[in-house]
Amino acid sequence: MSDFLQFVVAGLSAGAVYALVAMGFVAIFSVSGVINLAQGEFAAIAGLSALSFTDAGVPLPVAMLLALLVVAVVAVLMQRLAIAPVRRMTTLVSIILTLGVSTALKALLLLIYGPQGRGLAPLPGSDLVIGGVSVRAQELWILGITAVVAVAVAVFYDRTVLGKALRACAEQPVAARLVGISPKAAATVAFAVAGLLGAVAGVLASPIQLTQWDSGLLLGLKGFVAATLGGLVSIRGAVLGGLVLGVLESLTAGYVDSGYRDAVAFVLLIVVLVARPGGVFGRHAEARV
Amino acid sequence: MKSRSDAVGVVLLLVALLLLPLVLPVWVTGTAVYATIYAIAAIGLSLLMGLAGQVSLGHAAFFAVGAYTQGILVTRTAVPGLLAALIAVALAMLAALLVGLPLLRLRGHYLALATLGLGIILTVVAIETPFLGATSGIFGIDKPEFGGRRYDSPAEYLWLLTPVVILAIVGARNLVQSRVGRALGAVNDSEVAAETLGVDTFRLRLQVFVLSAGYAGVAGVFFAHWLAVVNPNSANFALSVEFLLMAVLGGLGTVWGAVVGGFGVEFLDEGLREVVPLVVPGATGEVQLIGFGIVLTLVMIFLPGGLHQAFRALTARRAPTEATEEPAAPDPGEGPLLAREGRPEPGTVLLSVRGLTKHYGGVTAVDGVDLDVAAGEIVALIGPNGAGKTTCFNMVSGVVEPSAGTVEVAGTRIDGRKPHVFAAARATRTFQNLQVFGSATVLGNVMVGRHLRSRVGLLRSMLGFAARREEREIVAAAREVIDLVGLTADADRPAADLPFGRQRLMEVARALAVEPDLLLLDEPMAGLSGAERRDLARLLRRLRAGGMGIVLVEHDVEAVLALADRVAVLDDGVRIALGTPQEIRDDPAVVAAYLGVDDDDPEAEQAVQALAEVTHDER
Amino acid sequence: MFGSAKRLAALLAAGALLAAGCAEEQPAAGGQGGEAEAGPFKIGAVLDITGAGASLGVPERDTLTLLTEELNAQGGIDGRQVEMIIEDNASTEDGAARAATKLITEDQVDILLGASRTGPSLAMRPIAESTPIPMISLAANAAIVNGSQWVFKTAQNDSVVIENIVEDAASKGYKTLALARDASGFGEGVRELFDEIGGPKGVSVIAVESFAPDATDFTAQMVNVRNANADAVVIWGIPPAAGLAQKAYVQLGVGKPVYQSHGIGNQVFLDTAAEAADGLVAPLGRLVVADQLPEDDPQKKVITDFIAAYRGEYDAAPSTFAGHAYDGFQLAVDALRNAGTEPEAVRSYLEGIDDFVGVSGTFSMSPEDHSGLTADDLVLVTVAGGKFQLVP
Repeated sequence: MSDFLQFVVAGLSAGAVYALVAMGFVAIFSVSGVINLAQGEFAAIAGLSALSFTDAGVPLPVAMLLALLVVAVVAVLMQRLAIAPVRRMTTLVSIILTLGVSTALKALLLLIYGPQGRGLAPLPGSDLVIGGVSVRAQELWILGITAVVAVAVAVFYDRTVLGKALRACAEQPVAARLVGISPKAAATVAFAVAGLLGAVAGVLASPIQLTQWDSGLLLGLKGFVAATLGGLVSIRGAVLGGLVLGVLESLTAGYVDSGYRDAVAFVLLIVVLVARPGGVFGRHAEARV
Repeated sequence: MKSRSDAVGVVLLLVALLLLPLVLPVWVTGTAVYATIYAIAAIGLSLLMGLAGQVSLGHAAFFAVGAYTQGILVTRTAVPGLLAALIAVALAMLAALLVGLPLLRLRGHYLALATLGLGIILTVVAIETPFLGATSGIFGIDKPEFGGRRYDSPAEYLWLLTPVVILAIVGARNLVQSRVGRALGAVNDSEVAAETLGVDTFRLRLQVFVLSAGYAGVAGVFFAHWLAVVNPNSANFALSVEFLLMAVLGGLGTVWGAVVGGFGVEFLDEGLREVVPLVVPGATGEVQLIGFGIVLTLVMIFLPGGLHQAFRALTARRAPTEATEEPAAPDPGEGPLLAREGRPEPGTVLLSVRGLTKHYGGVTAVDGVDLDVAAGEIVALIGPNGAGKTTCFNMVSGVVEPSAGTVEVAGTRIDGRKPHVFAAARATRTFQNLQVFGSATVLGNVMVGRHLRSRVGLLRSMLGFAARREEREIVAAAREVIDLVGLTADADRPAADLPFGRQRLMEVARALAVEPDLLLLDEPMAGLSGAERRDLARLLRRLRAGGMGIVLVEHDVEAVLALADRVAVLDDGVRIALGTPQEIRDDPAVVAAYLGVDDDDPEAEQAVQALAEVTHDER
Repeated sequence: MFGSAKRLAALLAAGALLAAGCAEEQPAAGGQGGEAEAGPFKIGAVLDITGAGASLGVPERDTLTLLTEELNAQGGIDGRQVEMIIEDNASTEDGAARAATKLITEDQVDILLGASRTGPSLAMRPIAESTPIPMISLAANAAIVNGSQWVFKTAQNDSVVIENIVEDAASKGYKTLALARDASGFGEGVRELFDEIGGPKGVSVIAVESFAPDATDFTAQMVNVRNANADAVVIWGIPPAAGLAQKAYVQLGVGKPVYQSHGIGNQVFLDTAAEAADGLVAPLGRLVVADQLPEDDPQKKVITDFIAAYRGEYDAAPSTFAGHAYDGFQLAVDALRNAGTEPEAVRSYLEGIDDFVGVSGTFSMSPEDHSGLTADDLVLVTVAGGKFQLVP
């Protein structure tokens, strides 16, 4: 039993990181129909730039906040320079386009930081052993911060004027304009939000998972799978999808074969696409004709 | 092969591949070998993107299936290389079939996501499976031998590859220009219109997807022999991205673009590895990615059509399309038209609708409509705006699935099935909101209408010559119906350039090309001039005389009452009247329905006026 | 990189030619050999300089460059200079095959070095054999040389490492081992070798877990290893994964003695694992503990000289991979000096190498053994205070 709990704890903390990335996918897709494959790179940029700041002597919490800022700026620039100029944006075009951006960002990180992976210092706290289950302090930080961020994002979309306007943008552009937000501004805000979410994932995961130039690839893809499990338009679905994916991976590695860990997400993806294309946890998405 | 430029391209490529190895340094030839191998896979991906409008983010998976199968068969069994290659390619195609079967039924980006997953799963499986050689993979694959000759050096291997890549190109070009390519091109412009002309989108897309996997498999086979090693890297995401880059760089869906893209990316790769470390001292790792990423991004932003688009833009200026003047007068005859042998006798019921109902959320758009239409009659469906006429049409033609009720055309159930089933039952339709195939000429549009009247499939399309005779028949038949609607002079103009009214006539011609027994026209008169309306009405009468059953939705009540044999009136989704034009005129419920709607609706006012005037005149 | 301007020119020329789609006569831009017999000896090296293997290939490139300069400054081989032509395979198999073909056909090198890792080396092997030309790989997997007449290698076989671990385990009375291994080429076949070598000594592997080289979460593996309740644990991987696994091993309280492999011999491992590394045991080459070697160790001088030269040029300690490159270079030079450039002569000379003192060990080749190292070429090392220490 304690093994099972140990796997679940590890799975939840990994899943929380997926959930943060997945929320980023949802933030952008639900507003502009763009699938942003550079979402994982946001996390990598955050981790590596936070490392640069701490190397320069900036205290850890400040370095983390600065990293969030850096990524938000990168995300907005990406929207302005690469996404906005495209006239006929379809989901398919967005996939290829953001794949290009993500490849370029990855290579840029490689040129700046080199190939070596490094970890940010963990947040303070001591590791615990509860009933034979070992929990690292950083894991508690990850779970706690993810919970706070998820609630904040949900409140943002459900309760605030700006959040509601963003959602309206996706469903009814004209109505959104009446509320006083242009689709263009909405897309910019969406990218900033997604950038922040990815960056939080990046700085939180770095002490445990290390950060290197290409760590965004797998993280981004798995975050995307988590978002798809949740139906791609639901924040709650994305969070749930991330956590479920993390736990399933951990259990597979523990009880089946650790070698198949990375295949879990994608087998799940294909099964879900075939069986329930609208997502497992999301509302059933109507096909738009 | 149809165009001269294709022939020129093939000759140039042939000369380049055969002669360049003699004059270029060996490493350039070596790179050309890889470029050629990858180009074969890229052509397949390009077909998938261009024809099926789908993208595979894991195309390396099929490449790897081909390479692994070939590697295992030639190193561990006595299977001869050529047979092994056939098996390898077949397995790659089988893998695609299994993935495509469930996923291509869905709209949107699902195939892209699933193939992405497939590539990663295959990489993991290859690493974890001792039979597949785990991480070391399969090694010791010999260079191929044919006729006692071993193709060892880059130059020789390039010569061995030359006929293969030429065949791959010719096959792909033939396919793009064939009946199948035309149908899929139409699907990309308007899926629903193509389907109502009988195009089975799912089936054709699946075929193209499987074919594109076959191309990747062929590339995999050649890769395995040339490299002598196959390992899990051959399925990985980076290679899939490289294939994608090749297809995108050259131009989505253009065969030559993929070839140019293949060479472009391979040499870009080589060059960047040399240049980037010179610019950024101490740069190590996959530095060439920066160029790939930037090129991919820039192409998608500024040149979504790829190099092909740039080339077209440069050459287009030389050949402006000449605009035509007035349309030529349509066939002035009065006799019956488009009668065909085997058509049901006039009076035989063709369309039988029972209890047709559609709910949208809590709203009932159509409520329990019954309607029969027989061969040789014109039935009009009228009613105020929002009465559910178009929804009815959509359900009858299989575009929208009814919530309840049945639709039968010539004994075939249509409800809950696809529009191509409707078309297969010799029925088709036009659209209120025009669904023009914007990337084709008028002739090209109408030729899609011949889809069901021709048979050449994927394989014969690729062979080209096998399809030539049928192509000529298709062109002839298409021109015939174009003449009927009076668009003769516009036949070779891009359909998108036509004025609104003539696009409508073109849709009618396109529908007629299907040689339907039952024709549904959704507001065919809208946007036509007075003369054009009279011509169209005359055409419809002649078609009726030929035995066709016609249903039309029309706002022009005057025209309808003059033309139709029977009129059905819908209001609020309910059929409130059905009868001869005379009976409808006399039906107070009909007038009330039109009067009941918003007074500001000018169309309703016109309709009431028309009803009243006609009634008055007749009396 | 060597000759990069020339390649670039040829590349541009070829690109232009292809783009134009014409096949005009064009003078070949690449060098066409043409040197007389009296020209320099040519050594071609194919290394993983960019891509996933860059942390191996870069120090190897630096080593080869350094050694070539040194040798030529001292007058080369019997007065003939040595030309070192280094090609990058970008850590890919096709890149390795391409580079090898280019070196053989275009530069007409006398002997091939490389590649840095197993996969690319396996891709080069058939090319070397069909030419034929002698090739010395710098990678570890025994499959690279097994059954080959023409291919040699300088990195220790896995079996040599495992012999050391098994012997130490047996001497301490450990009967059962739990193995957590790298899922990539580095950890492949390790379990089988443990069975083969450990079996006769009464040491058996009772649990095997694997992890991807880029894995970050080792909870599952270490919990299962803990549950196996073996006498000792073997972690077989390369940093940073090996370091993270070591950390998880401590965090989850596995609490058994732990062995690591020869893959951890660099600073990255020490940085990643930090204090969690204390107390582990690993068989490593003498390079990492050069300062602690007794004066009478035959390798002491070779290793300290190499470290001094490398430090002098690059201001860093050479890694074990640099050592593999050093050995490959010295073997090649020795063979060229004594056997000339005739491939068969070079090949048979290399097969006859005996007691050749290098950085990774003392090589004694034979027609059956193209690796030439034994268990004695490794020493057991532990970690204390963030530093490698000889096990007393």
